[in-house]
Amino acid sequence: MQGNMFLHAMILTELEDAVGKENCSTREIDKITHSVDYYWLSRMWADRGEKMPQADFIVAPKDAQETSKVLKIANYYKIPVTTWGAGGGTQGGAIPVCGGIILDTKRMNRIYEVNTEGMYIECGTGAIYKHIEWAANEVGKSTMHFPSSLTCSTVGGFLAHRGIGVCSTKYGKIDDMVLQMEVVLPNGDIINTCSAPKHAAGPDLNQIFIGSEGTLGVITKAQIRIYDQPEERRFRGFLFQDMHGAFQASRELLQKFKPSVMRLYDEAETASLIKKIVGVERKGAFMNIAYEGVKEMVEVEEKILLETFKKYGAEDLGSEYGEKWWEEKITFFYPGHMMDIPQMFGTMDTIAPYGKIEEIYWAMKEAIETNFPQAKFIAHFSHWYEWGAMVYDRFIIEGKDVPQDPVEALRLHQAVWSCGVRAALAHGGVVNDHHGVGIKLGRLMKEQYGPAMQVFEGIKKTLDPNGIMNPFKLGL
Amino acid sequence: MIMSQKSKEHIDACRFCWMCHHICPVGNATGQERNTARARALGLSLVNRDTLQVEDVIDNVYECCLCGGCVGVCITGWDPVMFTKEARLQAALEDKLPAYINALVDNCLDTGNAYGVTELDGELQAAVAAHAAPTDTLLVLGVDARCKVPAQAVKAIRVLEKAGVSFTVLANEPATGWQMDFLVGAAEETKQQMAAAAQVMNGYKTVVLYDPNDAKCVKQTYHEYGVETTAKATTFTAFVAALLAEGKLEAARSDRAVVYQDPYQLARDLSETEEPREIIASYAVLGEMLCNRKETIAAGNLLMAEYIPQVMEQVAARRLFNAESVGADTLVTACVGEYAVLKAVPQDKVAVLSIEDLILG
Repeated sequence: MQGNMFLHAMILTELEDAVGKENCSTREIDKITHSVDYYWLSRMWADRGEKMPQADFIVAPKDAQETSKVLKIANYYKIPVTTWGAGGGTQGGAIPVCGGIILDTKRMNRIYEVNTEGMYIECGTGAIYKHIEWAANEVGKSTMHFPSSLTCSTVGGFLAHRGIGVCSTKYGKIDDMVLQMEVVLPNGDIINTCSAPKHAAGPDLNQIFIGSEGTLGVITKAQIRIYDQPEERRFRGFLFQDMHGAFQASRELLQKFKPSVMRLYDEAETASLIKKIVGVERKGAFMNIAYEGVKEMVEVEEKILLETFKKYGAEDLGSEYGEKWWEEKITFFYPGHMMDIPQMFGTMDTIAPYGKIEEIYWAMKEAIETNFPQAKFIAHFSHWYEWGAMVYDRFIIEGKDVPQDPVEALRLHQAVWSCGVRAALAHGGVVNDHHGVGIKLGRLMKEQYGPAMQVFEGIKKTLDPNGIMNPFKLGL
Repeated sequence: MIMSQKSKEHIDACRFCWMCHHICPVGNATGQERNTARARALGLSLVNRDTLQVEDVIDNVYECCLCGGCVGVCITGWDPVMFTKEARLQAALEDKLPAYINALVDNCLDTGNAYGVTELDGELQAAVAAHAAPTDTLLVLGVDARCKVPAQAVKAIRVLEKAGVSFTVLANEPATGWQMDFLVGAAEETKQQMAAAAQVMNGYKTVVLYDPNDAKCVKQTYHEYGVETTAKATTFTAFVAALLAEGKLEAARSDRAVVYQDPYQLARDLSETEEPREIIASYAVLGEMLCNRKETIAAGNLLMAEYIPQVMEQVAARRLFNAESVGADTLVTACVGEYAVLKAVPQDKVAVLSIEDLILG
């Protein structure tokens, strides 16, 4: 595109006409800052002083109408469009690998309505999630969506990658928290999904676009559920001798009631992160449970929790560690507490039913530690259902063992990821739980879905025949 | 660009961290990714690695209002304000400042204020002249009030007059140096300006600093830069709160529902949050909006309005929206610069008042 200055200038004027000159940039600083997200490879690339692929135009529409204009221009000229929220994604989903247009959603940050009757907030998807939490708090409510990236990711970002927060067991994932959405299709048409999220009017349009990572259109507005603040939120820390007991206890507990927070740390993570942040200096598997709601219900739930976990030999550590964990739940992710370059690291979150999840953990651990002896493997299990749980497993390779050459570092990174995720798939896991696919895991989508992948490909081909929307992401 | 090792460490910590995204007044107002602390750090990290040139990032370095919101929420203690100020200083030393910043610096050096104003407004001149005689107490109005919002400067004088305070105002008030510090950080010229102002202020027992920018500069930055002051420096709001407590000002409480916009210089840097509230609660019904006290979000910067006025309007508009969201019909600020920027927003939902407006009625 840069080689054809005439056409570049022509398209720029059309984009400026669509969104306003001040909201359309070709400045180096804008291209650079939209070329590096939280994806380890993009960070490593920048750390090595290399430039990641850049967009030709950074465009920030204010609403669906302006988004529609941009997509019509992009379709006419067949220019790739990569949607960017706040850049906090870990899978490279927002990297403009083919250049073209970055469509930054953050100007679409308006909070249109806080509806305490319908119990939702209607907002632009460029709103930082913390801001809609503040809006809910102002009327005594909460979104109950508390991911570590609460302060740094947009509503659209969570929707695009099927995000999740720490209270998911009680309140659900982001895909459970949406009522209605406004979406701009690749051809520029503006559509609305059904006014209620549960219905029998055919397949669920919400769930077609949630998790589509900008490959099928741009979500521009959403109604996000809000909840009453709990009368009481209590915490209880436990130490299990091993994780097997914790799985048995948790599965039984979830047949009785749903706590809000459930987090089980394997022995390695208990001995590292939990020791550092929460202060538990004991051998075993630390588990933190929070339960909340109406006070009388919380009393009953606490009784059930203590009785159930006692049956499986859990040591009751009281409320102190759990409260400390709640206070520090985001501390884990600040530089200085979190892994960072020059380390190589990644989180291979996967999910499976109870019959498989423990086996997956051990299989992934063995695969990583056997094939990459320089890697450390730690994990916790932080999202639980009546039927199964998610393993949030991380590999960490110290900087001295990471190649300095960026291409060699990329090769190692790809190899570790392929090894770990394939181990999960081989034992019945899913390619990802809540970070999404992006460019990082796109190659593994066909291995996950096999011939079922043609369903996604068919939808993609119909909605985006020119293939302009976020190319090479999601395996599409 | 030659950056200190300390700045490089902070830059490299912040370049891939988004945790303060929600608090940045500029980034959230513009919606521009480059206005986040991490983007500024990323750009500077690439300058440090010779991937980008200073010229590629310098405009962005001046889009930060140095409010320290990001610093305040960083659990680890990384400091984007520190490295942003150092980048400004280094750009100045390497003669790579944008022309619009150079012009403001030149004004500071030539006229003592970035606006290049050489003559005071007539009404203000008269008000100042009435307090030319030496006393123990010096009221420092500051460059924003004297040059850009003279009506408020006059009101500040009237408040102290109403309380029966004997005080001096200088016709040729020296610049405290906060504008130079904002523009180019700890340059030699900045320190010289500060030292000259300190020398004048040291001739008084008490110095009352009307503008929170001056208050932060004199009470905090002077100490950091090794500029000695012997006078007792106090903020205007603390001084007035004490007058009120002593019964020297008469409280007259109305039913007006107001919220207070904490200036970050007072709340975050000087830990002064309750004195302004004591004053306001004596004249109106005080409520709170989101992000108050140390978690305050800046509502604008008059100096930045010289080169990015639309952005400052967006910043102020967001804060007015916060006030409107909690049902306030009035927002009160203790910072004359924020007052001017807030007033410039075309809207009629939330009235903007200064502390002086409230007291004088």
